[in-house]
Amino acid sequence: MFEKLPQKFKEYEIPVDVRALLLLRKAMDRNLVKTIGDIYNVLKGIVVKNPDMMGPFTKAYYDYFLNIKIQHGDRLSDAILRSETFKKWKEDNLDRMGDDLSTDDLVNLFLDEVHMTHYDIKEVLDGKTLWDNDRGDLEDQESEDDLLETARRKLDKMADYSDLSLEELLERLQEVMDRQRSNHSGGSHWIGTGGISPYGHGGAAKDGLRVGGTGGGKMARKVLNDRKYFPVDLDAIINDNNVDAALASLKGIIEESAREDLDIPVTIKKGLKRGGLFIPEIKSEKEDKLQVLLMIDNGGYSMDPYIRVVQTLFRKMKTRFAHDLETYYFHNTIYDRVFSDAQRIKSKSVEQILKKDPNYRVFIVGDAAMAAYELNKPSIESYRAMKSHFKKIAWLNPEPQKYWAHTFTTMVIKELIPMYPLSPKGIEEAVRGMNRKLN
Amino acid sequence: MAETDFWTGSERYLCDRELAQSFHIARTLGMPLLIEGEPGTGKTELPIQYAKDKGLELFVYPTGSKSNVEQFVARFDHVKYLRDSQIEILNSQREEKGLKSRLSTGGRNPEKLADYVAKGPAAKAYSTPNSVLLIDEIDKAPREFPNDLLYALSHRKFIMPESNEIIEVSEANMPAIVITSNREQELPTAFKGRCIYHYIHFPEADTMREIIAKHYPKVEDRIVDVALDVFYHLRRIGLERSPTTRELLNWLKYVKNYSTSEAVDKIQKLEGLGTLIKTQTDLERVQQKILNNPMDFNRRSTPN
Repeated sequence: MFEKLPQKFKEYEIPVDVRALLLLRKAMDRNLVKTIGDIYNVLKGIVVKNPDMMGPFTKAYYDYFLNIKIQHGDRLSDAILRSETFKKWKEDNLDRMGDDLSTDDLVNLFLDEVHMTHYDIKEVLDGKTLWDNDRGDLEDQESEDDLLETARRKLDKMADYSDLSLEELLERLQEVMDRQRSNHSGGSHWIGTGGISPYGHGGAAKDGLRVGGTGGGKMARKVLNDRKYFPVDLDAIINDNNVDAALASLKGIIEESAREDLDIPVTIKKGLKRGGLFIPEIKSEKEDKLQVLLMIDNGGYSMDPYIRVVQTLFRKMKTRFAHDLETYYFHNTIYDRVFSDAQRIKSKSVEQILKKDPNYRVFIVGDAAMAAYELNKPSIESYRAMKSHFKKIAWLNPEPQKYWAHTFTTMVIKELIPMYPLSPKGIEEAVRGMNRKLN
Repeated sequence: MAETDFWTGSERYLCDRELAQSFHIARTLGMPLLIEGEPGTGKTELPIQYAKDKGLELFVYPTGSKSNVEQFVARFDHVKYLRDSQIEILNSQREEKGLKSRLSTGGRNPEKLADYVAKGPAAKAYSTPNSVLLIDEIDKAPREFPNDLLYALSHRKFIMPESNEIIEVSEANMPAIVITSNREQELPTAFKGRCIYHYIHFPEADTMREIIAKHYPKVEDRIVDVALDVFYHLRRIGLERSPTTRELLNWLKYVKNYSTSEAVDKIQKLEGLGTLIKTQTDLERVQQKILNNPMDFNRRSTPN
């Protein structure tokens, strides 16, 4: 079961390890998984570890479980409409849906069915109980009765499915998965009649028995259509060896500070042994201290290929040893503001940045190439101010060093801020340069 | 048996549907729920309201830059231990001299080390079946703190310092653990791997309306309309610290005492802006962007 899942998810840079699979299995054991909507939910909780992973995760899920491939820049609805899975589903369910539904409605219905969880089903069932209890008070018996009848038929079916034991469920999953993977039958059986998803029969939507809440489909759609879930760093193709080498050279920037403290427990223990003569015992606490400001030029195509590597590098650094890393973005050059998000919506003034502890190490990453008029006086002033406030500052340039002399703005900036190539060696030099200025 | 019912919120607290599901998954699996998201999205409220609604005992550990696992689990009170052992000596000396009165150790016995173990919220929660444990703003903690928690979280067991008493909880009685983080620093991967992760999205206008209704059911729709319009507009203009749910509720608390037309007027003039905007730069920005362009803004906030 799910042997290929880690591999598939890895293609989307979503790590899934054995523990995650065991947890999923445990969740099934505990009846948390009854539909593939549940799998999405549970797996999301287990696997996704920050909001940036939502987009890739959803893509991987659609690919693995539904055989729907969402290409870069694709909208979710387009990918769905194109897929065999959807076509097959439509065929299977055509009679219950009627032909008055627009394409959008169909996609919505499909998404709601894919993402329906056992919570939703339970809600419908609870609703049914409520409804049954209310029945005595109903004036308009006739039409309500019809409606109730249909509703009950469908709901009974749901109830049947939600009582599946784990073994049955797994068996069914396996069966469906096998069918899914064979070439000709398409992926339709996840959903609809043959699948594990019981509501496929129900068509609850048409009878006013809509399951409540937002519907997971809406969220999936939102995730996949929203660029904020695809920040620059996640689709990165990184050169791992290279990044690690760079990481190694970044290590040079850690500072250690030692502090001496009175060690009360030891003082007391030793004092008791001496028969009540207390002599203060001192212990020294070592602290790694590192504060880094990272400023990345993420505007324009010229920088695109590098942003990802840089972010990976510094993210790794952060998880390994940094305590305090702040990342800012700018477009081509820094004027009076930088931005705290990759989309450059939330801004912070350079003035505020300059209020920070001068011990911050500042790395500016950019190609420093722009039209001469862009590098105007305010911008130059900003660089000057930063240089004089933060003594430990370096510019990392992804352009090969031999081209620098050909770009006017690069040469100007190089005069303002020490510039190094964005390579492991360059970073090492930058760090060494920073450390030198300390003394 | 552990409390593993599906909980969807209470009278006072609107629990986001996805959050409710993640919370249920976490409790059913006996794992902590790690909630991340912007400030003011109700992260901390979840365990508090859950405990209140279900009548469960709640233990809170507010994390700070000095947090360590000792405070969280248990620490041995060396000073008290020292004092009491000195008192024992003193008492025997007094006895020798024939003095009757004894100094008290407050019922503690230096022979019993367990008397000197001060239990932190974690140890308390683990010894109370089905309690709720909130670790608030873990991103404020020093880097080692989450790593130190790993052991406890995966073994369901604490060993008390010095007394070596073991506090263990069965999976069935596992407290519902909720950990919140504002993402001020990245948490270690291994730590996240031990948690069910949920990211709370900032509520959209519809949800926000429901949240307001839970808090101030009597506020006129018209006031809410205008306030929401202004609120989301302020959130869009890229402030350093965008106003959050809490601030919106405070603002409404201020204007709700006025008549509808007065309140709407106050909102449109951004009276009581101090409740929404918290920094000087932001205030200047708002003044520059909105108050200097009242025409533009009034057009936006008047539904037609």
